[in-house]
Amino acid sequence: MSRLPNTTAFKILERLRQDRSDLENNAIDQLLTGRIDRRAFLRHGSRLGLSAALMSSALGTVGLMGLRPARAQGAPGATIRVAQITPSGAINPVTVADQGGLLPLQIVGDFLVMDGPDLVLRPMLATEWTPNEDGTIWTFKLREGVKFHDGRTMSADDVVASIKRLADPANGSNALSAFKGVLSPEGIRKVDDLTVEFSLEAPNGNFPYYVSTDNYNAIIVPADTDPAAFEGSMIATGPFKRESYTPKVGATYVRNEDYWGGPALPSRIELNFYDDLQPQVLGLLGGQIDVIQQVNVQGARPLLDNPAAKILRLKANTHRQVHMKTQSGPFADKRIREAMALTIDRQKLVDGLFQGMASVGNDSPFAPVFPSTDTTVPQRTRDIDKAKALMAEAGVSTVDTTLTTMQMQELPTLATLLKNFGAEIGININLKIEDVGAYYGDAVPGKSDWLDSEFGITDYGHRGTPNVFLSAPLLSTGTWNSANFSNPTYDQLVADYIAAVDLETQTEIAGKIQRLLLDETPIIFPYFYDYLSATGPTVSGVETTAMGQIFLNQASK
Amino acid sequence: MGLLRTIGRRLALGLLTLFLLSIVVFLGTQVLPGNPGRAILGPLADARAVAALNEQLGANRPPVEIYLDWMGNMLQGDLGQSYTFRQPVAPFIGAALVNSLKLVAVIFVMVVPLGIGAGVIAALNAGKTVDRIVSIASLSLTVIPEFVSSIVLILVFAVFLRWLPLTASWPPGSGVLVQIQHLILPALPLVIVLFGYIARMARSGTIEALSADYTRTAILKGLPWRTVLNRHVLRNALLPTITVIATQAGYALGGLVVVETLFRYQGIGNLVLTAAKGKDFAMLQAGVLTIGAFFILVTLIADTLVVMLNPRLRAGLKR
Repeated sequence: MSRLPNTTAFKILERLRQDRSDLENNAIDQLLTGRIDRRAFLRHGSRLGLSAALMSSALGTVGLMGLRPARAQGAPGATIRVAQITPSGAINPVTVADQGGLLPLQIVGDFLVMDGPDLVLRPMLATEWTPNEDGTIWTFKLREGVKFHDGRTMSADDVVASIKRLADPANGSNALSAFKGVLSPEGIRKVDDLTVEFSLEAPNGNFPYYVSTDNYNAIIVPADTDPAAFEGSMIATGPFKRESYTPKVGATYVRNEDYWGGPALPSRIELNFYDDLQPQVLGLLGGQIDVIQQVNVQGARPLLDNPAAKILRLKANTHRQVHMKTQSGPFADKRIREAMALTIDRQKLVDGLFQGMASVGNDSPFAPVFPSTDTTVPQRTRDIDKAKALMAEAGVSTVDTTLTTMQMQELPTLATLLKNFGAEIGININLKIEDVGAYYGDAVPGKSDWLDSEFGITDYGHRGTPNVFLSAPLLSTGTWNSANFSNPTYDQLVADYIAAVDLETQTEIAGKIQRLLLDETPIIFPYFYDYLSATGPTVSGVETTAMGQIFLNQASK
Repeated sequence: MGLLRTIGRRLALGLLTLFLLSIVVFLGTQVLPGNPGRAILGPLADARAVAALNEQLGANRPPVEIYLDWMGNMLQGDLGQSYTFRQPVAPFIGAALVNSLKLVAVIFVMVVPLGIGAGVIAALNAGKTVDRIVSIASLSLTVIPEFVSSIVLILVFAVFLRWLPLTASWPPGSGVLVQIQHLILPALPLVIVLFGYIARMARSGTIEALSADYTRTAILKGLPWRTVLNRHVLRNALLPTITVIATQAGYALGGLVVVETLFRYQGIGNLVLTAAKGKDFAMLQAGVLTIGAFFILVTLIADTLVVMLNPRLRAGLKR
């Protein structure tokens, strides 16, 4: 379906297109010709650095709604009390690696780019970003007049230093896994005081995600920051300034009156650290907490459908991977892997484990939430007859195996359900449910039940792009390759996918990858579940990301 | 003299116990998988980053060197540096110990009079309804796990009635009364558990003392009942109860993890648990040794009290 506009609108659009790169104009063309929808256009356009104003105009021209208008403002001056899991260590922008640590960091800091709740990138400290033709060099324009909490002005030097620290292997950086093969310290360069250039190790069409909220270590701090001493001052550019921080107890923040985006509504933020979800839920019900960073369906049943709480729900790609060793044991035969995958009633899992707050998976990392996911690839559904036929074809009537996983949220229940599904076609599954530490072990082959088990379930957090999911667990050189999957065609397709800059090419390669993984089935992706947070009934204006960040600039109660 | 020598000997033995304990903890940390860098950066971190972080923390040295280093610093009064928080361990241990002691104090202020009172009343009414009620209550309450009673208490008093604050952490700068108000709810689950032990001990001790010869003699001498009870019965009946209370105080200090987690209280049990998970060597050692030292100390105090209250033991020491 084409959405070609009338003559006046066409003229407006022509003006918008002037001085735009081919890639950007290509995105606009895809929208006009109806090849992508509004959501995909926003996500894709934002990745290429199209401004919100331009995208809204383009959408308006073809009769679609632009970005949502700013939220209605609530009363200023509130103290917002947030409950979260206790950070596992010091609040250090380089080493923070846990759900607990990222929020104390984010409350004070800004990123170059924000990966919003809808996976649409929004400008934060960078106002524009553009790739070169092949996606190997990305140039970021910085916002002018941004001040750190100590009054100094932020410049390209601070951005270069902040990101370099993360990409340097000598620093013990948590972001190193993400930057591996993408960006090295040498590739980060200041062009002028308000321009930074990133020369990548390989073409990457999704690079802005790597310096967005998606990479929660990537907050911009002054160039001379000592990360190990950051907790004591927390100087950054965010809407709130550190007032106090007590390890294991909590933190308080006050409004930054000089914030570049204008002062936030709340005058104060209180973070309260808890070791468990249950007391957080009770705290919210008891009126002593306003926001819970993350809740899960298993632990927050008293909050669901309860007028004393509001659940904030975001579509995400957080998921579980059920790996099967492809080179040894019973699953070395791909027919048995496929048979196992065919026994699973995915909708039942979504309804039973998540009360419907999840999407069905199709045995590839391409979650429905990614704009490049090829939706024409058929969905794998339960088919016991076909599964039995595959077992017979493989020449086996029964298979004995052990499913290893850990004591975490719904994982033991999922393991039991898989055992029951497998039993229907003669796959006899013993369960081995371990402590989280024992499951991951040393995270290297030979010393890790995660990487060594023949059949196992692992948890994976949300990401803005599927790149990490495609690489680490599935590339033949992947460091988290628990299925021992090795397929040269796949490896090449992933390199092409990561390099692709325009959405059309990405979707085309995604389709090939999805079909290849359905055929090979090294890993079952049963579902992608939604990211849930909770607030008190009167709290409004809280914006969360599926990474665990909470933006409270517009919060009131 | 005899009493002092006994105390001195017990203290020396206590120090030896603590030293052995430090070796056990050290060996324990060697058995557990993982390392501090991995614990901080998580299972998915890049191996180069983990190695770099361990290097920065000094956690990649040979384990024996880490232990000897820690022991050397310890003997000079330095508890060391936490891997996890990158700060000196001492303030963490100090604050957590003070918090735990406050909670233990509130627990015992509530449970000791309640337990002893109920036990003595039951003994004085042995076989009657009051006795049966106390006996059944003391047996059944002891077996309620803290996590069950905690949740029920929170739901009733904090969520529905909203009489008491939900967490044990009080706002900074709060006065004693506000602090006590925050501690009542977390103290109750332990009061429920400990009540049974103390009441049963007090009851059986009192019954034994009531039937003893010296009590009969005192009654036959024509002493008023109150005097008989205070001087002859309770003084003898409560000696074993003191020992029970002391060992329970040690348990309460180290075993409050469930209550501390649910009520968001930064006590020493919680601190040790986190240190063990994070392979935070100095913190773990200092925490375990603090709990051990407290246990040894309260047992010593209880033993001394028992000796001082028991004329026969006192006489034995003088000989």
